Amino acid sequence: MPSRLPAPPAEAAPPAPPAPDAGPPPSQEARQRPGSSRRSVLTALTALPLAGAVSACGSGGSSSGGSKGVTRLTFWSALRGSQQVVDEFNRTHERIQVDFEQIPSGTQGGYLKLSNAARAGNSPDVATIEYPEVPEFAIDGVARDITPLVDGGLRRKLLPQSLGLTTFKKRIYSVPLDVEPMVMHYRKDLFDRFGIEVPRTWDEFEQAARTVRRRAPERRLAVFPTDGAETFAAFAWQAGAQWYDIRDGAWNISLADEPTRRVAAYWQRLVDEDLVFANPGTGKLNDAQIGRGLLLARFSGAWDAGAQMNARPAQKGDWRIAGLPQWDPDRPVVSTQGGSTFAVTKDCRHPEAAMEFIAWQVCDPASLRARLSSGASSQYPAAPGLVQVGRKAFDRSYYGGQDIYRLFDEEARKIGPNWRWGPRMRPTVTVMQDGFARMSGGRQSVIGAVRAAQRGTMPDLRALGLATTQHST
Amino acid sequence: MTPEPAGPAPAATGAGHRSDHSSEEAGDTSMTTTAPWPAAGEGRAPAAVPAPRGARRTARRRALGACGVLMTPFFVLLVTVFLIPVATAVWLSFFGSDEPGLGFGPERTVFVGLRSYAAVLTDPTFLSGLGVVALYCLLYIPLMVLCALVLALLLDSGVVRLRAWAQLGLFLPHAVPGIIAAIIWLYLYTPGLSPVIDLLGRAGVTVDFLGIHTVVPSIVNIALWSNLGYNMVVFYAALQAVPREVVEAAVVDGAGPVRTALQVKTPLIRASIVMVAMFTLIFALQLFTEPMLLSQSTPMISSRFSPSMYIYDAAFNRNNYGLASAASVVLLVCTIALSYGVTRWTGRLDARSVPDEQQEAAV
Repeated sequence: MPSRLPAPPAEAAPPAPPAPDAGPPPSQEARQRPGSSRRSVLTALTALPLAGAVSACGSGGSSSGGSKGVTRLTFWSALRGSQQVVDEFNRTHERIQVDFEQIPSGTQGGYLKLSNAARAGNSPDVATIEYPEVPEFAIDGVARDITPLVDGGLRRKLLPQSLGLTTFKKRIYSVPLDVEPMVMHYRKDLFDRFGIEVPRTWDEFEQAARTVRRRAPERRLAVFPTDGAETFAAFAWQAGAQWYDIRDGAWNISLADEPTRRVAAYWQRLVDEDLVFANPGTGKLNDAQIGRGLLLARFSGAWDAGAQMNARPAQKGDWRIAGLPQWDPDRPVVSTQGGSTFAVTKDCRHPEAAMEFIAWQVCDPASLRARLSSGASSQYPAAPGLVQVGRKAFDRSYYGGQDIYRLFDEEARKIGPNWRWGPRMRPTVTVMQDGFARMSGGRQSVIGAVRAAQRGTMPDLRALGLATTQHST
Repeated sequence: MTPEPAGPAPAATGAGHRSDHSSEEAGDTSMTTTAPWPAAGEGRAPAAVPAPRGARRTARRRALGACGVLMTPFFVLLVTVFLIPVATAVWLSFFGSDEPGLGFGPERTVFVGLRSYAAVLTDPTFLSGLGVVALYCLLYIPLMVLCALVLALLLDSGVVRLRAWAQLGLFLPHAVPGIIAAIIWLYLYTPGLSPVIDLLGRAGVTVDFLGIHTVVPSIVNIALWSNLGYNMVVFYAALQAVPREVVEAAVVDGAGPVRTALQVKTPLIRASIVMVAMFTLIFALQLFTEPMLLSQSTPMISSRFSPSMYIYDAAFNRNNYGLASAASVVLLVCTIALSYGVTRWTGRLDARSVPDEQQEAAV
């Protein structure tokens, strides 16, 4: 989804860093010309034998698998800064060396590439999968069951809610890298100008939306993203919905359950009364709305704070971040938007080494530092122990000195633990968004789109032979 | 007379000899593969000359050998690019690799019967895709056949000046690949980019070519633009094969140009009309390129807009090959059934009209 982590520019560099001759210059060149992926592939290819030779010399002849030799792993990711992380890993590890390949983000072809590679039997050792797709790849047998490899130490370091999203029937299929509590980014300057308090509840949010429309008819408080089924999922999750649920050995699907209906009715009202924009939450129109200050607040995961800094440097100092408005302020619940996990694939021949690499990426401060060194990022690590690292590395000036990591930390602990993503989220998301897109002109309603998404997902699940029940239609 | 283009000549041949063939064959697509004139002439020539038995047998063997050599590439291609993929799709639609229950755990390939078909046929998005294609066919096929026929009749009647240029101009869009055509039209349809929308806007008319009601007509327009010239040439070639005596007789009997066109020429090229209608139908059922490209610009075209897009989405976005294969087989069966239906229907019409003509002749 466009609302997830943005696809980084092609930063393909030679996959094997220990080749001092071939390493840095092509990487520089590739960075200067982000479009020339073919060229960087070529440089990578030319660097490969060299790198192989160097590492072979260093390790006494064996280049893969042997007890004395170096274990080579392949790693695919679309995440920003992965190259820096891999470089750092390779620099500090002798027995495991990682070949990194930058791939397109999931919906831009990354997932297709992964499933095709798995079908052909040559998937990478370690793959990056976002939370909603973890069940899909686990069911398809691409992500292997890594329960025995995840030791208690690693388990204790991770936020339980994040690990819960990658665990099914007590089996773990991938390890969370980051968990991104959804927060409200808002224009402090415009809130002050129109005399709006930061809303703590959704009722206050609606009142604020009315105030904005009254005082500045061309502006709106927020946008209902017609391309943001996952944002809507996050709203539903916060209200206590359970779209997917495992009960009695079957997937129970209830997209239109009571909390979802409540959330749908809420946003329907805001849209009908023209209190919010209803248009895509990404793309030119939305960029223009934010750039021209027509939009006063927006909802996204913690990661987006860094993306915002990169995308709109001119609005430095105008933005602040607050927690999500609540339905019940006494029992606050937060949901997530975005976030990635690492899976060991079925084709991996060195699962222990792969797990060591994953654990290092997820828990080691050096890994997070390397990732943040690639540019402004505000990833919230799934291992709370790393929060201090992110906090120190993050430049606070864009948000007027606000300590956003402390806010993320508070919010992350409120993440509702009862959410589960389903076996095929992409059909659900696309059908729902097709419905949202038809809302203008009153041809579809929010809840209608949700119901259509359920109807459009069931055939997929049935064709996969899964046991399913439906508790809402 | 302008020289006939090479491509549709066989069609004209078939049309000219309609009365020689059985009525069934008249509507059959196989007519496009019938041998062109010279081959037929050569084939007849040796038979006319009395020859000894052995020589005749050798000739026969040679003919069979030549037949084998000439047909082999066709059958190799038929098997590799048609029969094997179809068989694979059918196999994939009946087998699935799954683990019952939640789906986690080791997979094994099992026979799943009609499960994928049941899923496809109960999928509202697939059914709505069929609906879209039905609407598209209802708009596109009559428009295409009528426009191509009218243009061909105009060209044939000599009303149009600069006939060769007109033909070239109408045929050129067909030389543009479908993807390029869709991109050109995407540019013309996109508000903010399109000079057409700009001009209309200046004239006070606001149009949204990619709105909910206009999106199917917009796709029809692209397809018409691309294929009109080709089908017009097919009709024109068929019209060239209409015996001039018949036309002259009609003129002598007092038929005006319009009546000649509609009541003399058009019935004589009916076989071509049926063929064009059927090919258009087959292509229309596979609607894919235009909506796929236009979907970038409008949310009104969903990822499962047409059956072909549904298949693509199922295979490559939803990673559900069983579902995609079942949908493909359903689409294939629909296409075959419709083609067969059209053939049978027109065949019966022919069979009925021939005795009528004979009766009229007797009277």
